[in-house]
Amino acid sequence: MTTLRPTFALMAAAAIAGAHLGAAQPPPPPPGVPQTALQAAPIDLTGQWVAIVNEDWRWRMVTPPKGDVASVPLNDEGRRVAEQWNPTTDGACEAYGAAALLRMPTRLRIRWQGDERLVLETDAGRQTRSLEFGTVSPPAQRSLQGHSVAKWVNPPPPPGGPGLVGSAGGTRRAGGYLEVKTTQLTPGWLRRNGVPYSEDAVVTEYFARFQAPNGDEWLMVTTIVDDVRYLTQRFITSSHFRREGEGGRWNPRDCGAAS
Amino acid sequence: MNRPRIALAALAAFLTCVAAPAAAQLNLVGYWNPLFHEDVDERIPGPSIGDYMGLPITDAARLRAEAWDASLLSMPEHQCKPHPSTYGFRGVGVLRIWEDRDEDTQQLIKIHTHIAWQEQHREIWMDGRPHPPEYALHTWQGFSTGAWEGDVLVVKTTHLKAGWMRRNGLPLSDRATMTDRFHRYGDVMTHVMIVEDPVYLTEPLVKTNGFLLSPNGSMTPYPCDPVVEVVRDPGFVPHYLPGQNPFLAEFGEAHHLPPEATRGGAATALPEFAEKLR
Repeated sequence: MTTLRPTFALMAAAAIAGAHLGAAQPPPPPPGVPQTALQAAPIDLTGQWVAIVNEDWRWRMVTPPKGDVASVPLNDEGRRVAEQWNPTTDGACEAYGAAALLRMPTRLRIRWQGDERLVLETDAGRQTRSLEFGTVSPPAQRSLQGHSVAKWVNPPPPPGGPGLVGSAGGTRRAGGYLEVKTTQLTPGWLRRNGVPYSEDAVVTEYFARFQAPNGDEWLMVTTIVDDVRYLTQRFITSSHFRREGEGGRWNPRDCGAAS
Repeated sequence: MNRPRIALAALAAFLTCVAAPAAAQLNLVGYWNPLFHEDVDERIPGPSIGDYMGLPITDAARLRAEAWDASLLSMPEHQCKPHPSTYGFRGVGVLRIWEDRDEDTQQLIKIHTHIAWQEQHREIWMDGRPHPPEYALHTWQGFSTGAWEGDVLVVKTTHLKAGWMRRNGLPLSDRATMTDRFHRYGDVMTHVMIVEDPVYLTEPLVKTNGFLLSPNGSMTPYPCDPVVEVVRDPGFVPHYLPGQNPFLAEFGEAHHLPPEATRGGAATALPEFAEKLR
């Protein structure tokens, strides 16, 4: 038994230390003062970003031919609707709905409007999305950009101490992302050639930010489209944007015509 | 408590604290199926000859690609090549991820990634070791070290063999390095590759790849034995001399795309390039 005692002491010490580390949490906000979404942001998404289109180039930078639905998991009804697309409607606003807007060759401007709303604008198609953090009732009318509910997802507290990165609000824990769920959509197109999504579609997006070794800042958006009417499974893509400095190009083009 | 016991307890607490910073913030372990909702032409049947759209390639990369002949892949020396880690996550094949942990401390030592096709096995060291000196062996998967950045695994890879960025002859040099990031959102994982190459890229190449968790996933072995598929003269290597590749224009013609688009370059990835095409 004597020989077991040091081992027991080791296990007990390790367990105590592990429990302490596992219980580590960031300090809570002062009582009675809830954080706003702006204050709680683990990452800073604001600024101007440019899409770098090196994936799906042939389906994003130019309008693909009618019926080219490659890699979109359409069901029979979805393919039937895609075949009805009229090429003279190329550039129509249906191509700029929330389910596909960030696949466009576009620049984004993201800014806070108050403490509980992020506004995302595109120059391609001149669209504006409102990402609502607070309790905002869904609008009565469906729309191209729908109703977007946003929430921050924080990284778990690091056991070895806070990893800190710079952001607009000062220093924060490294990591974290924005989750956005969009409903109340009007029907639109997943691609410029009329590949459809329906008003039943639910769009879930994850916005993450990272720095490349050369110092460039990147925004990555993973987009998941659920649409039982036209899709056989979730349609999952990811789009990346590079941060631009002040005075970056901004060329608003309306949708509704070839744009 | 006598002194040895105090010392042991203190040592245990110290070891636990030392081990903690390497502890995973997120669990990536499991089988992951690649999603082909993007770049399906490139990733399933394979890219067309002469399609470099959106890629920030140098003139030297374009020249090498134009000399490439797909018959090269029928040579015994090339039949069993795995993808380098700078391409493998875009290829076909199930991805399996698992961990090596120290049995006593449970400290994370290493994360393995294994992609079925040609058995691309990568080791990502999580124990804080440095990369080897520049003269150390270069391999298909390279030497990788990882760290958690919040809930994201960030990996740095050096010591790569000369490989490729696209399977139509677009090369990467043995000076290429990669930073890749594993972002998990429930059963979806987005893998980001940031490849830098002073020889064949004018700026970092950023690509993203989607994976879906497969709870009942499995993986089969992928043995490869090279054989002589085509009898050739000794020393002959399939290739095209500059200006003599007859297939370079086919892709652009088939899709009504001008040569300034298909020949690639950093500018072809920007929105203003799309405006020029309309």
